[in-house]
Amino acid sequence: MGRYLLRRLLHTVLAMLGVSIGVFLIMHLVPGDPIRLALGTRFDPEVYQALRSRAGLDRPLLAQYGTWLSHAVTGDFGVSFRSGQPVGELLWQRLGPTATLAGAALLVALSIALPVGILSAVWSGSVIDRIATALSQLWVSVPDFWSGIMYILLFALVLGWLPASGYVSPLDDPVQALRHLVLPALTVGLISGSILTRFVRSAVLEALNQDYTRTARAKGLSRWQTVRRHVLPNAWIPIVTVAGLQLGFLLGGVVVVEVIFEWPGLGRLAYDAVIRRDYSLLQGAVLVIATVFLTINLFVDILCGYLDPRVRRP
Amino acid sequence: MNRTDGARPRGRSRRWRLAALISVVALAATGCSGGESVDVDGDSGGSGGTLVVAISSEPDSLDVHVSTASPTFLVLENVYDTLVEPAADLSFQPALATDWQISEDLLTWTFHLRKDVTWHNGRAFGADDVVASFQRIMDSDVAANAWRFESVTEVRKVDDLTVEFALNRPTPNLLANVGGFKGMAIVPPELIEGDGLATGAVGTGPFTFVSYTPGDKIVLAANPEYWGEGPFVDRVEFRFIAEPTTALTNLRTGDVHLTNNVPPQQIDALSDDSDVELGRLASNDYWYFTCNFDREPFNNTDVRRALSFAVDREQIAQAAYFDAATPVQSAMGPGSFWATDYAPFSHDPQQSRDLLAKAGVSGLTVDLMLTNEFPHTIQAAEVIASQWKDVGVGVNIRTLDFASWLDEQGKGNYDCYVLGWLNNLDGEYAYHAQHHSGGAYNFQGYANAEVDRLLDEARVQTDDTTRRDRYAAAARLLIDDVSYAYLYTPDTVLAWLPTVKGVEVHPDGKTRLRGVRIGG
Repeated sequence: MGRYLLRRLLHTVLAMLGVSIGVFLIMHLVPGDPIRLALGTRFDPEVYQALRSRAGLDRPLLAQYGTWLSHAVTGDFGVSFRSGQPVGELLWQRLGPTATLAGAALLVALSIALPVGILSAVWSGSVIDRIATALSQLWVSVPDFWSGIMYILLFALVLGWLPASGYVSPLDDPVQALRHLVLPALTVGLISGSILTRFVRSAVLEALNQDYTRTARAKGLSRWQTVRRHVLPNAWIPIVTVAGLQLGFLLGGVVVVEVIFEWPGLGRLAYDAVIRRDYSLLQGAVLVIATVFLTINLFVDILCGYLDPRVRRP
Repeated sequence: MNRTDGARPRGRSRRWRLAALISVVALAATGCSGGESVDVDGDSGGSGGTLVVAISSEPDSLDVHVSTASPTFLVLENVYDTLVEPAADLSFQPALATDWQISEDLLTWTFHLRKDVTWHNGRAFGADDVVASFQRIMDSDVAANAWRFESVTEVRKVDDLTVEFALNRPTPNLLANVGGFKGMAIVPPELIEGDGLATGAVGTGPFTFVSYTPGDKIVLAANPEYWGEGPFVDRVEFRFIAEPTTALTNLRTGDVHLTNNVPPQQIDALSDDSDVELGRLASNDYWYFTCNFDREPFNNTDVRRALSFAVDREQIAQAAYFDAATPVQSAMGPGSFWATDYAPFSHDPQQSRDLLAKAGVSGLTVDLMLTNEFPHTIQAAEVIASQWKDVGVGVNIRTLDFASWLDEQGKGNYDCYVLGWLNNLDGEYAYHAQHHSGGAYNFQGYANAEVDRLLDEARVQTDDTTRRDRYAAAARLLIDDVSYAYLYTPDTVLAWLPTVKGVEVHPDGKTRLRGVRIGG
């Protein structure tokens, strides 16, 4: 297990390095830069060159990347080109809200996907299976910007049960924090849950059709005993893998939901950084998102190794 | 102009008649400038409380000297002061300066500063603060508005409460330059050191800066030591709500008191809604298209005139802003002191075709460059494209993010583009840099010796009416030559709860909250 862990860690570090180089190159190769953007239409070539050189943007790309990397490994991500605020601080402020939303959404997703997915696989072809399949199909197809706004209109405006938007830290006011969390968590959780349900169903269904399941049934185990002892242990690996990927997506890829619910998440920060060509902020944001994503993957790999010892072999 | 009575004006003509009427009163009172603001129930009671304001986007920086983004100024309008500030009619009134004199040679302006003003950190305000602030504001390596001070050679302290601006040429619009908006705010020198201005704000205004949570909100608190009247609420929270449906839902549920995030298509419905007050006013902004004079056939005036005759500005304004914009043909809209009453371009496809034939142009395809930074220009361009097609001009619409757009504009890689200039407080802002052959922002490459002469003359006139006439004469020429084809001027729109009193709608779009109260 130790060597397996070490190998996975090494892969993670290499992947992070690759991601940071990729983002750096792409951002510097696309047209437009933060200085040009800050000057806007009031463009003066002399001022532009002076500001570029002050920001160090006229240095060779390799030197710029080297400087960034040497600072980044010490935890110093520099200051945002746009706002002048420390990037590390900006990212840290977004981590809490992002983790809260992602965690709550995954909870919603799993509490739907596990029971519904297993039931619809075990009773495959039944009315329950058909309804579950139809509903999950529907939820996957509904865009989040539409369902989010519908929840706001229904639960905030018509019924008045929940606040329409905003973020409250659980440390400040747990009750208000929960009330603000419900709608965004439902919006992404239901979509994520629909995707996961389909994976759970097919993973369980596949295990149900294996020879060992038939053998277990032939030996006289009941349907649910078979599911518990033989089917689920074999279905866990694809389910955990997909759930891990979903969590990674929830941490950085729910920009639209963050906008609708005025949620101060990482995805929106990274999106704004791209639009504003805020190189330092984007580099930091992508590195954090990639780190979290790769850590989840690492965790998933370890979990899979634990669930199925065969995975650990080289 | 305001719609708080619940009655809906029946169209543009009534709105403009009213605007014109109020402007006449304002002009008679001040002898300068135009426009007006709406003051609703300004003297009703109110007692403290937290005012929650939803704005559609987040400041790019807290540093007012560096920022170019309007949300920065929306918020910090309430924290900082300038030497003078725009009055409701856009003339300039005392703020940190109580009065000022101009020397006989017009090259020295002396400002007397207000006594007994203290910074939010408790220190007394004085001339050193003004000098230090202008040293930074005029440094083009740091500040975004240094270009406004080309004619200022020095800002010096005379005594603790007097400063002088030394000029190298008469600058009649100096007041607009020093006080047009908070990009020229007076800041404490102790914050200029380090990154104090980027991470916090210490001003002399009606509210003190409390906190900024990026992605979430900015909190301000009442400044009990404020030198002017107000403020009447204890705290203000500016929340960043980009999605208009979310902003309006929050307004209706009472979680937000006031918002500027009102989508134009909702204005009609909101006007009929007794739960929401709506204020709206023509802004100082204009949007236009222009073409690349370095490229054929756009260097041909007949071709540009043909493109201008081909479009129906009424339909373009409608596409861009529903009923919340006015079609225009010059930079300063009707109702402004600087307005030019000249509109030679009716929608005339036949004349457009004739002009193209005269120029010997057929089968023209225009590369029309747009940016999704301003989505209404994309809607406007779709109408432009279809109307150009009607006269046989094909269009390739190219939509870029703003960073790429600016890059392409800088390289001259376009046939035509659509863009706007915001908050034009003075004829100088609207015309000189954009249309003078040596103008810094004359990107299109327009050159007309007569226009240059008129613009140069206007620059050094001290009498506003004479200046206006020079700008108007220049405007007629450049409109005829289609240096810019002016298209529309949007309205400034605010929506608020009926319990909120004293809201002012300004043509510059700023939310000044010192007079706002939350009533029962």
